[in-house]
Amino acid sequence: MPSGARLPTALRGVGGIVGSMKPFAEWLSTTSPSVFLQNHNSWAIPAIQSIHIAGIAIVLGSVFMIVLRLLGWAGMDQSLLQTARRFGPWLTGALWLMLATGALMVIGEPVRELITFSFWLKMFLVALATVIAVVFQRSLRKHDRQWEEILVKRGTTKLLAVLTFLIWACIIILGRLIAYDHVWGSWSPAAKA
Amino acid sequence: MGFLVAGRQSLKMTIAGILQWLESSALASTIRDGLLLFPLLESIHVIGLALVFGTIAIIDLRLLGAASAERPFKRMASDILKWTWAAFALTAVTGALMFITNADVYYHNFYFRTKMLLLVLAGINMASFELTLGRAVHRWDKAPSAPPAGKAVAILSLAIWISVIFAGRLIGFSTSRAKEAAPSPADSSLEELFQTTPGGAGATSNPVPKK
Repeated sequence: MPSGARLPTALRGVGGIVGSMKPFAEWLSTTSPSVFLQNHNSWAIPAIQSIHIAGIAIVLGSVFMIVLRLLGWAGMDQSLLQTARRFGPWLTGALWLMLATGALMVIGEPVRELITFSFWLKMFLVALATVIAVVFQRSLRKHDRQWEEILVKRGTTKLLAVLTFLIWACIIILGRLIAYDHVWGSWSPAAKA
Repeated sequence: MGFLVAGRQSLKMTIAGILQWLESSALASTIRDGLLLFPLLESIHVIGLALVFGTIAIIDLRLLGAASAERPFKRMASDILKWTWAAFALTAVTGALMFITNADVYYHNFYFRTKMLLLVLAGINMASFELTLGRAVHRWDKAPSAPPAGKAVAILSLAIWISVIFAGRLIGFSTSRAKEAAPSPADSSLEELFQTTPGGAGATSNPVPKK
């Protein structure tokens, strides 16, 4: 990994912003909800993390079934629209659950979460993946016939489906890497501290 | 009685020997020494378990009649469960690779043992379903939900798998891997972090990576 390697200017700017989160993170860690979570961290943090993991299981499971349907590998007794209607609401619900538990994890360990490269790259990918999910489901509801008859047969659609799944997989990897942000070398804002 | 005690003693020694051998294997030390290998194994383990729990929950909700109630059960099961098994294999392999890096500690860890026990319970729960209702699936295949016994299996399954996730997370919190190059920030630094907050936290928690 790029220890000592220089970042492209744009990314270095992001790094600067992340670094400037430090006063905010330190302030957040003095607020009473944060202090409460810190005082109960032996059970609160693992409990919240476990719910967060159960949430990503629902998210990844739902995305997986929609992707398999787009690839034609599962759920072929259901239309695309039926598949999206079955898993879309669970995806949305689980994303809200993850937002809530994720926020609690940030409040409980502000510095550990916010002063990392992994966290912010993860947030970017979460935003991207959420936009993909919303755009896909809206388009499917509006043009379901076009999706069923033409789009689903296209190689590009299948490729994008696989890519979407990979984005979610990367989100999980980055979530784990928050605890190992030093693997990014000088890209990690903690390295400069 | 004497030979029983001796037998147990030698079994303990055998297990200790195996754990020692696993830990000192070239594979284990490669994973321990790598900067990225252990975190990547953890990540793939989480991806695998997310697919295991995600797909099992789909089946359990179908048994309960809470979702996909209009789809024949058999069709769904044959559609989905092969992916569950593939994902489970992924978690088993990555789990085993993590285990060998610190075999003795994991083997004696309470939460690790709890998790293994829960996995056995999940297996028994699933087998009991397959051997009873699973064999008579034609009788309720198209019904919006399974018979009461099937619903009980589904609720147990969801409860066991959530507990598996919980126990797994607690293994990480209660063990710290023996890693000289980069002390694991995941576990050990949690307390450090809290001792130093609010002032100057974080500075101590992230070791400078080796070149």
